[in-house]
Amino acid sequence: MSKFSDALAGGKFVLTVEMDPPRGTSLGEMDALAKSLSAKVDAVVVSDNRGAVARMSPVLAAHHLIKHAQAEVILTLTCRDRNRLALTSEMLAAAAGGVQNLLLVSGDFVTLGDQPGSRPVYDLDSVQALILASLLAQGRDFSGELSEPVAFFLGASLPVATEPPGLAGIKFSKKLKAGAGYFMTQPVSGAAEIEALTKLPMAADTKIIAGLELGAEQEAGPLVELAKELKSGGKAAGVHLACPEAPQRIAELVDKLS
Amino acid sequence: MIVAERKPFKEIAVAASGFRKVLVAGCGTCVAVCLTGGEKEAGILATQLDMAAQLGDREQVFSVGCVERQCDREFLEELGPQIAEADAVISMACGAGIQFLAEAYPDTPVLAGVNTTFIGVNEDVGVWTERCRSCRNCVLSITGGVCPISLCPKGMLNGPCGGADKGKCETDRERDCAWSVIYRRLESTGRLINLEEVIEARDHRDLLPGRQVHPAYERRYSAHE
Repeated sequence: MSKFSDALAGGKFVLTVEMDPPRGTSLGEMDALAKSLSAKVDAVVVSDNRGAVARMSPVLAAHHLIKHAQAEVILTLTCRDRNRLALTSEMLAAAAGGVQNLLLVSGDFVTLGDQPGSRPVYDLDSVQALILASLLAQGRDFSGELSEPVAFFLGASLPVATEPPGLAGIKFSKKLKAGAGYFMTQPVSGAAEIEALTKLPMAADTKIIAGLELGAEQEAGPLVELAKELKSGGKAAGVHLACPEAPQRIAELVDKLS
Repeated sequence: MIVAERKPFKEIAVAASGFRKVLVAGCGTCVAVCLTGGEKEAGILATQLDMAAQLGDREQVFSVGCVERQCDREFLEELGPQIAEADAVISMACGAGIQFLAEAYPDTPVLAGVNTTFIGVNEDVGVWTERCRSCRNCVLSITGGVCPISLCPKGMLNGPCGGADKGKCETDRERDCAWSVIYRRLESTGRLINLEEVIEARDHRDLLPGRQVHPAYERRYSAHE
């Protein structure tokens, strides 16, 4: 369906990177980074008001990267800022602009961001948002028919330190049933965390991409080693790199891994 | 029960500053139990306001009244004679009581003495915690008697969000993730099967102003309409 889904289906160990839309109107920096990386990575994940801090609409940023950087984009949509109507319209807008991959997540709570008094939405949870996206693929929403089917390759998040451990499986299996074709984990610190996730019921044939996060001052070496270990271990379907505090360092990681 | 906390003194004093004779009206049920707005607390507030008025050289007179429940018309009638003497009333009841008092005595300005906080329980001496958001679609039978609407900040219905860390909530690392509690409760009672079905998106028409008529009274009220 999408280039990203083809890569996963083909058994490729995928490499994805996270990018935040600007806190302003200039897309130049994001554009340049995406251009320099698009040939080396399997997808650019465009974040959605990450950390509950307002940024440019990820739908517009995703469209821009598709058009100007020829990037394969995964659009993140959170349930925090939109009700089911707004999620539907954003999905339709995303598809109209060429977005083929979605990552549907609950979203960090507003008190973690810079405007803690904002009203959080959570009209849907991430499972219900996946169900909505799966309905769009059938040409309808929760209520009625759309003018045509709108299909995405759907992704969901997967927590790594669930307590009690059995709890992780509850939402994981619901997300699978709701149409998730791949999972992105929260940042992991070791291969054992991915190993544990692959033992979840129904995980055997599921594409689980390990989240790796690099701090601004953190040495890249150990993270690169972990990524290589995950690749050779064969448990993870790929790695997702994020460096939210110093986005330019993503290039440094990609160069060492691609 | 409904839990409330008293408004900051300054806010109450400013709101009451334009009135000469002010009645502080306590409510004897929920807000009395949570030590916020009962007869005793109404008396304390009246005394504080009186002292502040004297210190500020304002000619104000504060009196105290209290009824069993301000959310009940019958009880509100008891306040009639005192309200007739007052230029304004500070109600110490929950938001429902304050409004019902204002509705019952529309010619007298009614001021709020408390902020209503939540529907909760008396967790320990002097501690109340929230338990219900009155969402009109109770899922407690499924979730092991633990409410994911009021105890999960995101109101997640199908399991924990990704922000939980080692069983604690992303909004407060001291607070248990509601879903960890739900899971343990269902696991210990052999009911984890409850969590297999997807719970559908909530119907948010609970945001429309509520009204309910007991079935036995339906004919009576339909006849009036």
